[in-house]
Amino acid sequence: MVQPQQHSIHEHLKEASSFIGNYAAILYASGATTIRIEKNILRMAGEWRMHAEFSILPTDIIISLWSENKEHSYSTIVRIPEGAINYRTVTYLSCLSRRTAQKHLSIDDARCIMQRITGFKRLDSRAVLFLVGAANASFCRLFGGDPVSMAIVFVATVSGFFIKQRLTEKKWDYRMVSLVSACLAAILSSSGFVFGWGETPETALATSVLFLVPGIPFSNAVSDLIHGRYICSLSRFCQAMMITVSLSLGLCLAFLILNIKFY
Amino acid sequence: MNIFFELLEDGIFASIAAIGFASISNPPRKAYPFCAGIAAAGHITRYILMNFAGYHIILSSFAAAFVTGIISLPAARRIKSPAECISFPAMLPMIPGMYAYRSIQSLIKCIESTAEPEFIHYMYMLKLNWTTCLLTITGMVLGATLPVFIFKKFYFKQKA
Repeated sequence: MVQPQQHSIHEHLKEASSFIGNYAAILYASGATTIRIEKNILRMAGEWRMHAEFSILPTDIIISLWSENKEHSYSTIVRIPEGAINYRTVTYLSCLSRRTAQKHLSIDDARCIMQRITGFKRLDSRAVLFLVGAANASFCRLFGGDPVSMAIVFVATVSGFFIKQRLTEKKWDYRMVSLVSACLAAILSSSGFVFGWGETPETALATSVLFLVPGIPFSNAVSDLIHGRYICSLSRFCQAMMITVSLSLGLCLAFLILNIKFY
Repeated sequence: MNIFFELLEDGIFASIAAIGFASISNPPRKAYPFCAGIAAAGHITRYILMNFAGYHIILSSFAAAFVTGIISLPAARRIKSPAECISFPAMLPMIPGMYAYRSIQSLIKCIESTAEPEFIHYMYMLKLNWTTCLLTITGMVLGATLPVFIFKKFYFKQKA
């Protein structure tokens, strides 16, 4: 027969396991490195007098929490949600972990704060559109592009990124989104070649799709590799490669459509 | 004087690129000015090493990322954010994207090739671009992570 005290410990472990599993899954989906997720989880589990053991897999997180004397345990598997990289969430969830340890927050308090954090709105999509356009135009300049090429890259990037935002909203597969966005951006940026605009049309064409290069997933993959989290590293690397292959195919498709011999 | 303006231009455009690319990953608002400044410092370092000292892109990117990583530590402490939330977006203008997609294009050209010399040329291009891309990114992340290990006490003091 289960004793009342044992029942209470079991419920406590169950509650904590559910919270920490979701917390880790959101952090992973938001683009946190595996070592960051581990540090945050262990800090919170320690504060709640539990031992945490876990595996972070490409699609799921398996977490086992043990009571302080290691007599009881509870295991949970949480599916990692799909979502875009969000460093604001990573920052605030890391703060939540530190606050839990410093201010001795309960599981309920931490859950309320996490709900608030995940409800924060992202930067306005039109502002992001403009900023990405300006960023890629600057990139064109860094590669030696002239002002005309910069203007072409700005228009091509804004159009490509706009399509990317809309198709992502419509839940298209991320590989198709990359392919279509790259193709559109490349077609528009080839106007320098077609109409003879500017002195550096090849720079405009080459830099027009750079906004799609998955820099953060590549960086996270190498970070996981350095810290010995090989499965996560491989998973992130494969995802980044899929995007790179898709954008290259989009670029090749644009060359094929316009019959451009560029490379 | 010309060199000064060259470096200034490089820094300004690198910081605009960093802000724009960082906005995709939605960092906290307070992080944007730091991302811009750190990206400028990193990119200028790489520019000097590549164009004036003649170092290879891999070594230059490693050194530039190291500078990025060092400046990111006090910046992260200031805005109470993980260091990688500032250093990774700040490194985005240095990600060798051109090498990445040229690798895939070389692969496609390999398949399209009808003669052996052409195939070997594109295979060489594939290996060159791919190795450069991979080693540059590895060097960059190593460079940005190294300061965390070196200044571990400083870095983790805020987290306690």
